[in-house]
Amino acid sequence: MRIVIAEDNVLLREGLVLLLTTGGHEVAAVAGSGPDVLPALLEHRPDVAVLDVRLPPGFRDEGLRAAIAARKEIPGLPVLVLSQYVEETYAAELLAGGAEGIGYLLKDRVGRVEEFLDALHRVAGGGTALDPEVVSQLMTTRHDPLQALTPREREVLALMAQGLDNATIATTLVITERSVSKHIGAVFAKLGLPHTDSGHRRVLAVLAYLNS
Amino acid sequence: MGLRPALRRSGAATVYLAVGLRTALPATLFSAVVPLVAVLAVLFIALPWLPDLIKPVRALARIERRRAREALGREIPEPYEPPRGTAVEQTVRLLGASSTWRDLLWLTLHGWTGLIMAVLAVGMWPSIPASLSLPLWWWAAPEGSQSAFIVLDGWTKALTLPFLQAALYAAILFWLVPRFARWQAMLAGFLLRPTRRSALTERVELLSTTRAEAIEAHGAELRRIERDLHDGTQAQLVAVALRLGLADRRFDADPDAARALFLQARDGVEDALTQLRTVIRGIYPPILSDRGLDGAVRALAAGLPIPVHLDLPGEGRVPAAVEAAAYFVVAEALTNIARHSGASRAEVSLQRAATCLRVRVRDDGEGGADPDRGSGLAGIRRRVAALDGTTRIDSPAGGGTTLEVELPCAS
Repeated sequence: MRIVIAEDNVLLREGLVLLLTTGGHEVAAVAGSGPDVLPALLEHRPDVAVLDVRLPPGFRDEGLRAAIAARKEIPGLPVLVLSQYVEETYAAELLAGGAEGIGYLLKDRVGRVEEFLDALHRVAGGGTALDPEVVSQLMTTRHDPLQALTPREREVLALMAQGLDNATIATTLVITERSVSKHIGAVFAKLGLPHTDSGHRRVLAVLAYLNS
Repeated sequence: MGLRPALRRSGAATVYLAVGLRTALPATLFSAVVPLVAVLAVLFIALPWLPDLIKPVRALARIERRRAREALGREIPEPYEPPRGTAVEQTVRLLGASSTWRDLLWLTLHGWTGLIMAVLAVGMWPSIPASLSLPLWWWAAPEGSQSAFIVLDGWTKALTLPFLQAALYAAILFWLVPRFARWQAMLAGFLLRPTRRSALTERVELLSTTRAEAIEAHGAELRRIERDLHDGTQAQLVAVALRLGLADRRFDADPDAARALFLQARDGVEDALTQLRTVIRGIYPPILSDRGLDGAVRALAAGLPIPVHLDLPGEGRVPAAVEAAAYFVVAEALTNIARHSGASRAEVSLQRAATCLRVRVRDDGEGGADPDRGSGLAGIRRRVAALDGTTRIDSPAGGGTTLEVELPCAS
């Protein structure tokens, strides 16, 4: 995959480049500040962009804004946003333009290399990768509509909201894929959502419901 | 001015002056006693009783202050300090306080002027019809009777003088009486309020106390942060370094054990990061620097399961510490609402006044929140106190809860 990275911390940037190149990917460009991000993306049109939320010169949410702007210019551009902290509002803003190819993870997750690369692939493939913390924020604040769910169904919904597919959910929870789809069916039925089998649509539907 | 409003104005002024007798009459009596007290005080006899003797004076002043407040349309604060120390100390304090002397001056002035003005105002009303009707019955009055020092002894005088008198009375009633009422109120407003000096002294004393508390609260906050970092994050990172060191030593001999240590180290780093995030949020939530107070509050409101009405000023920033405290207050209040109140809607308003930021969070829930019980409300109090702000909670059972916080900041 061809990847563009935007990260101002040199150590972390070099670390990311190392991690991605040893994983067999090509880093097309690195941007160190907010205004450089959009031109770099427009020039290189990568398979996926990995962006830090806070970038110079303002150290506020330049990366996030660049990601939203880039997806306006290049519809469907897969973007994985990394941040030192997660904020429900940012997730909502990112997903407002569609959940296809969107990822929003804590920087901590980079340390779990396999999981990080897995999330990156999912995003590049048009899927979704939401940090468990975002999901738990959504689940705790929007608890009311979820009261009808059993604990197991809630677990399945949380993993689903992160963007995982049925097979992964099954291995994570150590249950069969069939019971996973049964749980999902129950969740959709209880939440009144139409059943679809595409990963990001499920996330979008769940988020739309949770945010309503 | 037409006749009707003029009459009404004079009427109101007369009532004001007549009611003023309530303080003016005792005041004349008291001002008659004051010289006696002064002489006794000089002789050191009355000194221990002075705090008690001043009480009725203050009670009168209090009544007058309330009356004058309505007439002048502005608050007249009390200039008195709370009594402290032994009887002798209180006496000394009273003798040194400008408010005591100003009260006594007011007592004397108000006593006799109030009496005269009230009598004059009340007397004018029957005097006018009496004068006007004089031509009808003057002849029946006993020989040598006077009206306003003039003996009416012929029709010429009887048909001119009473009308001149009535005109004079009317002039007094319409022109002078409203001014009397105003003067009386202004006298009270001027003498019974705190002087600039005493107001400043009081303010300085208040500020010294609250500043000491604020510094204390701030110190406690610093110690908490230090403890969190030192005992939590720092210790965690040391443990990580230790594990990495061990892994390095074992790497050749026992790669599997080394790998287990690496993984433990990674878990440790993740824990440390999570702790760091919590500490950072406690100091200054990152969303504040990203989005400002308005954006951060908006994000908080969006996370609540019930609708939140927002009233935000939208521009201008306040000092970071004030912003962080305001955010903390709103976050805590909204958490409380979501958890305990059973409210169906909430309201958050931020207002920037000249010298403070006012935060108000309201809900329509069950009320009955007890600031002495809930740890959340106590936390709000502490955090607000650290900035020398004030917290007010109004939570009648069944009537919803209103939390109002004022954080001082010059703009």
